[in-house]
Amino acid sequence: MGTHRITLTVNRVQEVAEVPSNLTLLDFLRERLALTGTKNGCSTGECGACTVMMNGEPVNSCLVLAVEADGAEILTIEGLAHDGQLDTLQKAFIELTGTQCGFCAPGILISARALLNRNPHPSEAEIRDALRGHLCRCTGYVRIVESIQAAAKAGG
Amino acid sequence: MDEMKHTQKAPYPIGESIPRIDIHAKVTGEAKFTDDLPFGPGLLYGRVLRSPHPHALIKHINVSKALTMPGVRAVVTGADSDEHIGLYLKDRFIFCRERVRFVGDPVAGVVATSEAIADEACRLIDVEYEVLDPVLDPIRGIQPDAPLLHPDLGDYVVADFIQPKPGTNISNHFKVRKGDIEAAWPKCDVIVERSFRVPEVQHVPIETHIAIARVDQNGKITLWSSSQSPFAQRNLISEALGVSQSDIRVIAPYVGGGFGSKAGVSVEGMAVVMARKVPGHPVKMRLTREEEFFCSFVRQGLIAKTRVGATKDGKILAMKTEYYWDAGAYTEYGVNITRASGYSSTGPYNIPNVWADSYCVYTNHPVGGPMRGFGMPEIHWGIEQIMDIVADELGMDKVEFRLKNCLRSGDINVTGMKMHPIGLTECIQKASKAINWGTDEPASAPNKRRGKGLAIMWKAPAMPPNAGSSAWVRLNEDATVSLGIGGQEIGQGTFTVAAQMASAALGVPMDWIRISAPVDTQYSPYEWQTVASRLTWSMGNAIVKAAHNARKQILDIVAKYWDENPEDLDIKDGQVISYKTENSISIENIVVYGLPQPDGAGWQGGPIIGHGNFMPTYVTDLDNETGQGERAVVHYTTGCQAVDLEVNIETGHITILNIASAFDVGKAINPEQVRAQIEGGVGMGASTGILESLQFKDGIPQNISFMDYRIATAVDMPKKVESIIVEVPQDDGPWGARGVGEHPMVPTAPAIANALTAAVGVRILDLPLTPEKVFLALEQKAMTQGKGS
Amino acid sequence: MNLPSPGLPDFDYVSADTSDEVVSLLLKYPNDARLFMGGTDIFLHMRDRLVTPKLLVDVKHLPGMTSIDFDPKSGLRLGAAATLNMIARHQAVVKYYSLLAEAIDAFGMYQLRNRATIGGNLCNASPCADTGPIALVYEASLLAIGPKGERTIPAAEFFLGPGKNALDEGEFLMRIDFPTPPKGCAGRYLKLGRNSAGDLALVSAAVMAYPDESVKSSYSFRLALASVAPTPIRVPAAEAILARDPLTDETIELAANEAEATSRPIDDIRASAHYRKAMVKALTRRGILEVRTMLEKEG
Repeated sequence: MGTHRITLTVNRVQEVAEVPSNLTLLDFLRERLALTGTKNGCSTGECGACTVMMNGEPVNSCLVLAVEADGAEILTIEGLAHDGQLDTLQKAFIELTGTQCGFCAPGILISARALLNRNPHPSEAEIRDALRGHLCRCTGYVRIVESIQAAAKAGG
Repeated sequence: MDEMKHTQKAPYPIGESIPRIDIHAKVTGEAKFTDDLPFGPGLLYGRVLRSPHPHALIKHINVSKALTMPGVRAVVTGADSDEHIGLYLKDRFIFCRERVRFVGDPVAGVVATSEAIADEACRLIDVEYEVLDPVLDPIRGIQPDAPLLHPDLGDYVVADFIQPKPGTNISNHFKVRKGDIEAAWPKCDVIVERSFRVPEVQHVPIETHIAIARVDQNGKITLWSSSQSPFAQRNLISEALGVSQSDIRVIAPYVGGGFGSKAGVSVEGMAVVMARKVPGHPVKMRLTREEEFFCSFVRQGLIAKTRVGATKDGKILAMKTEYYWDAGAYTEYGVNITRASGYSSTGPYNIPNVWADSYCVYTNHPVGGPMRGFGMPEIHWGIEQIMDIVADELGMDKVEFRLKNCLRSGDINVTGMKMHPIGLTECIQKASKAINWGTDEPASAPNKRRGKGLAIMWKAPAMPPNAGSSAWVRLNEDATVSLGIGGQEIGQGTFTVAAQMASAALGVPMDWIRISAPVDTQYSPYEWQTVASRLTWSMGNAIVKAAHNARKQILDIVAKYWDENPEDLDIKDGQVISYKTENSISIENIVVYGLPQPDGAGWQGGPIIGHGNFMPTYVTDLDNETGQGERAVVHYTTGCQAVDLEVNIETGHITILNIASAFDVGKAINPEQVRAQIEGGVGMGASTGILESLQFKDGIPQNISFMDYRIATAVDMPKKVESIIVEVPQDDGPWGARGVGEHPMVPTAPAIANALTAAVGVRILDLPLTPEKVFLALEQKAMTQGKGS
Repeated sequence: MNLPSPGLPDFDYVSADTSDEVVSLLLKYPNDARLFMGGTDIFLHMRDRLVTPKLLVDVKHLPGMTSIDFDPKSGLRLGAAATLNMIARHQAVVKYYSLLAEAIDAFGMYQLRNRATIGGNLCNASPCADTGPIALVYEASLLAIGPKGERTIPAAEFFLGPGKNALDEGEFLMRIDFPTPPKGCAGRYLKLGRNSAGDLALVSAAVMAYPDESVKSSYSFRLALASVAPTPIRVPAAEAILARDPLTDETIELAANEAEATSRPIDDIRASAHYRKAMVKALTRRGILEVRTMLEKEG
């Protein structure tokens, strides 16, 4: 089986790696870069726990090959806060209990960030729609939606 | 304990909605779950070959092809562990020997250098089976000619409150005989009888089961697992493998959702047995999502036959119930769910004449385990619908009917226990008011119909009578407090509530409390299990005792130093103060180094550690024949949910417009976290109520992926979720608190069903209320009416 | 039972630069090479061992493969690897092909649509694919490239059965052309899942109509259904009723009945054939009613 040399940016840091064809971006992040904040919940693109930003758009990293990320800019939950500052969304999730067990939160925060980037003032329906690729079994989604609303209100 | 009495104002931060202390880690990706732990290049991976048959004898296993595959380090089968394992009834081998009892039963395990190699090697194992007739339904299972799943049932080790029937598929039969049921029926003006069905569903934690086991050269075992029960796992594995409890160390990081599925032992035992073959190497065993649906635990299926009689003035006189639990191949917790459902079979109603038979029946289905509510969502599905039907027959308002018959403080309940103070009537009044009960409101479109319904509930922690908790507090130089607990943070917020209680009981600021996590059986104090909504109450009591113990030690030293009476001293905000002399001193440093005596005459005190424990001492047995006893359980949490919904009569889709919940939590230690639990319970209740069932064909699960096992997403949730906290204090709860983690999903499905009937006049007795089922019921109703006219 | 593997099996990956390279790889490894673009289906099938390619040929970087072009005269040209989100947010799609945007919105979930491609959704030829009925009602044509060069396949001839499309050995889909929609055209895509959104269609109905003086009712309709036959289907008999009779509630009921009669759904774990048939009628009726309202507003 062949391997491929890839160069990509992960959380604003350039990474160079040799990856086999069948390595998913998810496993690359978790196992090669020890960025374990991104979670594996189903391996089928249904639960959204593995969501990362790829070139500014959220994707299920379990359905992306690492080799496909050659040249890409990747943002994971570990890179959401930067310059010592939490993202507005992170602050809102902390204040309003946007997560309970915490397993789905990294993916949800990435999707929420992408939502506010493309639509700074989403309606409740738009927020819920943007979340439909994220399964959460703890919260009933109530406080997730409220947290995203609060973050949008606080300027995104 | 005087200052804990609920009659006094609770000290800060009790009753305050402090933000969760674990949440910063969880929103930054810092929080470590089991799969996130690094194990280095020595890590090996385990995969399991599973039975493709619901019921068969293993005639022969050939592992030679798997063993010779490059990268394979070991193969294990039933021959590698011959002891039974099980919580209340030891009816299971870690790997099957001789017989497989469900599709998914572990037959062999492969340890290899990668998950892919282990998986591939599993497929190279040849197993010859002799296929047997399966039992796929509990009613079939109790018939005398049904195939026996456990011919050795009589030889299994069993807890004394469980009564298996050797020679049958019945692993427990629990009875209630209260009053004189036969004499009561003739006095009833209305008698209603119905049969209800509840399918198997799955917990669906977003983190699947995972465990990593390492066995060292001396046979000592370390297990890292996503677990609600580190101590119970240690104990069960110890008993099964004949290893001392102290030679097993379980380390349990954050749990990515449990809901009961990560209580007891499932994949952990397999990981340990596989790791024994490769000493020194950690072996990781992670279930795929597909496996999670049928290879860990499922919620048991239920067939409930219920008969209720009432007088024309609306008083319930008699209730007779038969529960046939589809317990699956092994029982783990199922036998006790059977018991709990029996002793809760009336729901929260005051009924003088009760007859109940609750049977736990082995079937060739996945293993029935505990799931949020521990049998209560399943039995309330029927209880709360039949109560609505009785009210309808009587022509009574459903709120009025419930207020007339529900349990109140001091009433004698189904098992003869006198009810402690409860606020159920207040819950009913507040929840129904929140949805404008009694007011008809228009639907939003011509193709929709609107209706309102409600359901009430009760649930006690179902556990052995002597389930214990313990805690310690260790003071640090900077006066921060390390709080040792064995309860697990599974998302319910227990670390936050524990810290609040320690802070209040010790008298130090909330942000001085540090939870000593992860829970590690080598260092953490004993906790029975993180189940049964029992931590706030049970572990909370232990924490308060531990904090008071430390507090006393601190006050004694300072009292000596000041030459005062400790009774006159207090700790407030991290300062020891004297009410008498108005002296004050920070506890910083002195809690480790102590205080000097005058004139250089040595030092007093030393590093402070406080300890405390709690175990209920008052739980009595129930009579085997009547189910009667003085106090079967520690307490009941009660509540009510009221639903306002719309039904699309073209498609059968239900949209919940508003769901209001009121629960009597005794005392909300952290009100926002209580509301978060209610919202989560409502979400899970609505999801299982409308969408979920594990579907089988000839015992083979058909929908083991998110593609076909749908759970509620953000767009499926009720439009409005309202949570109301009622506080009627628990006499032995910390500041009056009792648990509420499981309860909010108990009444959700029947409340929806009752509202559905109010909206469109059809009554569905089988969970879930899928659009298709609703549509077919509407179609049936139209046909029947067509014929009638 | 066949349990999926935990991860992806071994394979080689190559990103193709030219269509010639793709065709030659497909011919060289007819059984072992598979094309892929978004991977949202093939990775699942590989875990399930339904397909076991030794070589994945990534074709999304071929020239023009992700382009989206609109010309008022010739219509919309979609590179086969254009992602569903790229398409749904394209101004021309929003303005002229609202039915396509609506179907994409009903597809899966946002982050999946960042990977899922229009070509992949059509080539999988799943009976429940959301873009299938859309390609039918817009009367799209599919441009394939193969050993014998290019050829155009009308959407109506593209779907042959579950998982079966009209591409020959060595052929692959390059582009999908949507002709300029008829003037004054209105449409609705109604999809029924088990939960509110994101599910596979139990039934879906695409209803499109436009003012047409050449027919008696003055409106020409195009109806297509998914998940109720081995392929997405048009319902010509219902379309004929709607062209013939004035658009009264009775006519609409007749057309919906016809759609129900035309459908041939199966029983499976997702729904019974009986329910699906009833839903064909319900969705078709509602779709036509809503499109009638849209047309009346326009008119």
